[in-house]
Amino acid sequence: MDVRLETAVSLTKPWATETAEPAPYRLDVSLERENLLPVISALFAAEWGYLSAITGVDLGTAVGVVEVLYHFCEGPCIVTLRLRVPYDDAQIDSVCSIIPSASFFERELSEMLGITIVGTPNADRLFLPDDWPLGVYPLRKEYVMQG
Amino acid sequence: MEAVKDILALLVFPGGLFVVFAGMMYEWLDRKLVARLQNRIGPRWFQPIADTVKLLAKEEVLPESVTPFFFVVLPLIALAGALTAVLYTPMVGLEPAYSFPGDLIVTVYMLSLLTLCIGLAGANTRNRFSLVGATRALTQLFAYEAPFLLALFGPAIAAGSWQIGEIAHYAESHWFIFTQPIGFLVALIGLMGKLELPPFDSPEAETEIVAGALTEYSGRGLAIFRIGKGVELVVGLTLIVTFYLGGVANPIVFFVKTIGMLVVMAALQTLLTRLRIDQTVGLWWRYGALLVLLQWAVLIVVQIA
Amino acid sequence: MMTVAAPTTQKSEKFIVPIGPQHPALKEPGHFEFAVDGEIVTDATVRLGYVHRGIEKGTESRNWAQNLYLLERICGICSHTHAFAYVLGVEQLAEVEAPPRARAIRMVVAELERVHSHFLWLGVGAHEAGFDTLFMYSWRDRETVMDLLESLTGNRVNYSACVLGGVKFDINGEQTKGILEGLDFLEKRTHHYLNVIQQDALFLQRTRGVGVMTQQQARQLGVVGPTARASGVARDLRIDAPGQHYNDFNVNMILETDGDLAARFVVRIRDLFESYRIIREILSNMPEGDLVVKRMPRKIKAGETISRVEAPRGEAFYYIKSNGSEMPERIKVRTPTLCNMASVLTLTVGQHLADVPMILVGIDPCFSCNDRSVTVTQPSGQREHWTWEQVRRFGIEYYQRQGGQ
Repeated sequence: MDVRLETAVSLTKPWATETAEPAPYRLDVSLERENLLPVISALFAAEWGYLSAITGVDLGTAVGVVEVLYHFCEGPCIVTLRLRVPYDDAQIDSVCSIIPSASFFERELSEMLGITIVGTPNADRLFLPDDWPLGVYPLRKEYVMQG
Repeated sequence: MEAVKDILALLVFPGGLFVVFAGMMYEWLDRKLVARLQNRIGPRWFQPIADTVKLLAKEEVLPESVTPFFFVVLPLIALAGALTAVLYTPMVGLEPAYSFPGDLIVTVYMLSLLTLCIGLAGANTRNRFSLVGATRALTQLFAYEAPFLLALFGPAIAAGSWQIGEIAHYAESHWFIFTQPIGFLVALIGLMGKLELPPFDSPEAETEIVAGALTEYSGRGLAIFRIGKGVELVVGLTLIVTFYLGGVANPIVFFVKTIGMLVVMAALQTLLTRLRIDQTVGLWWRYGALLVLLQWAVLIVVQIA
Repeated sequence: MMTVAAPTTQKSEKFIVPIGPQHPALKEPGHFEFAVDGEIVTDATVRLGYVHRGIEKGTESRNWAQNLYLLERICGICSHTHAFAYVLGVEQLAEVEAPPRARAIRMVVAELERVHSHFLWLGVGAHEAGFDTLFMYSWRDRETVMDLLESLTGNRVNYSACVLGGVKFDINGEQTKGILEGLDFLEKRTHHYLNVIQQDALFLQRTRGVGVMTQQQARQLGVVGPTARASGVARDLRIDAPGQHYNDFNVNMILETDGDLAARFVVRIRDLFESYRIIREILSNMPEGDLVVKRMPRKIKAGETISRVEAPRGEAFYYIKSNGSEMPERIKVRTPTLCNMASVLTLTVGQHLADVPMILVGIDPCFSCNDRSVTVTQPSGQREHWTWEQVRRFGIEYYQRQGGQ
């Protein structure tokens, strides 16, 4: 295992519910939602990489959960923080207080997958048109492409 | 007979038709030269005429929240100012149509009227690009105007007259480009500033404020402003050639000299990067004005001695 | 959409200069609002999505091969980057490896694309500064590399060089010769441009010390690509994460430390020399062998993967999740512009309005790349529908009428 990944393992250890290494140079850390901010502060304080992307993956209506992935990159290493957000309580803490540039990623996540970002500085739409109906989230599986 | 001469001077030559047409041709030459220097093809010779005809034929949109009177009248005042200046200028090296002691000062102020009108026209609208453009146009006016004036007054001091005709005759035997090179440079570059040509085009920098003060103008108003600029280009070049390059002369020789100046201006336009408005102001006051004043000091000392 | 700001000069009210959605400074639509105090910018906001086409969602209802062509159309400038990142990800999931010759050809196209993109950017940057001469000349020279790409792939944009498991075409001796000659010409011109941007006093007045981003800021804002490298942050995926591709060939890190616009110009120009060197090295050591793997499955094994490619603008990030069927479960694309956009909003505050377009262009923004995910086609009134053949014939006839120019 790469030294940088070992550092990441030890940094995230206190909060991780599960840690996996799906591929070389990759580390998946599963978290409880409320532990997101402490983990990110720990990574940020240690200057471990940068927030490369936030991915939202809808696991389907049967499961009723959106998985939110925070990808941190450092050289060849990628650390992915995995959170599970249920439809009926779709909210998550904003990380903008620690990483201000996450604002765009959060705006995209919230408009595309219908997740409320608590405490994000700007919750306006970023990509979707102004006349897009409220409460319709295009990247949810229940949304079917028309036309 | 006098009346016929007046009407001809106003409507055909040197004012009116002749100078409007000359302005378009100069504009074409300027555009063509810049295009060729930039490795482009450039417009055909009748392009400025076609542009003007097209604009005149188009609807003039009156934006909401402007004062309609000023919106319509400002382009006319600008053009009238430029055309009035023509009458006191020795066009193509001939005697000016009209002349009186002190006409140099009147002419220079008539030339400033255009920029002033553009600034006011921008400030008249509520368009934000126009407002920023108007601010910049007026700021720039205050930057180059004083050095430009001082540069034109240099030959006047040497000739001991404020009358363009007399200075022109005096300049026949005195090429001021050699005795007052700084004044010549400042006048030429000042003219580029006056006409908002690159690198002094920040009042109409398209990548920032679209078309600057004239963003809201369309159709007739825009056409008249453009004609006014063309006329000012002709008058400005004529004044510079008269004052610094040998005064009144054979029309063909005079014409060649003017074209020479236009080539220099086109080359400068291609070579230089647009200046920010604060850089423009800094350039004129820190270098332009001081250098001309220095030259004045030398002149006065020589004159007295 | 536009915030209505009262255009007064009273101190209590903000004077907002809107840039976009349609504006001469923007080559693509985006909407920025800059609050200004005189000429100084005090606040900035952004609204994107004007070229949002629904590509991420679209991938979920197309099969793996179709998606390659869809994703390639995310961006017209760095289309190969997207295809490259996508095939890398899918190959990782399917556990196949492209043959060495295919990998080399992919890299040649990627580097040629970088050359064309940087030349394009140089022209746009010069235009924003009001230096149109440089703009015209750099775009003239860019035609050289466009012709090279066309001679290789048949297309000036959207090259479709990659297929799943390999590449579509080979590079023969004549093409190699053509590329080398083109590179010699471009290298000569690039030296000239490097001189211009480093020595032209008036141009430097507009770039030196403008929009400075310190190394500390660059790290905090998480910028990528040349924007980061101009601030002294060594971040280049070709070196950091070479993968199977750039492992075979050595790439040097191009770094500048000033962090201003001038440095962003210099970094990209020096990047060009590095690209020329890499292309030459690959062409002279071209491995022999197949262009495509023997068997590429139609259904991709369930699983998820991340693939990253250094686009001309920085890191392009792909997250691909498969459920074992013919279609992907989810594809997430994060383009470099989104990473760098935050820096524009931060850097413009306190700068002159005149410098804003340059700072914006300094990150080489690409809105099409940014705007992907969801849009529904609008019913289009009385529009006539032409077949491709009709369009083609119309084009040919039109130009014949124009005298064959």
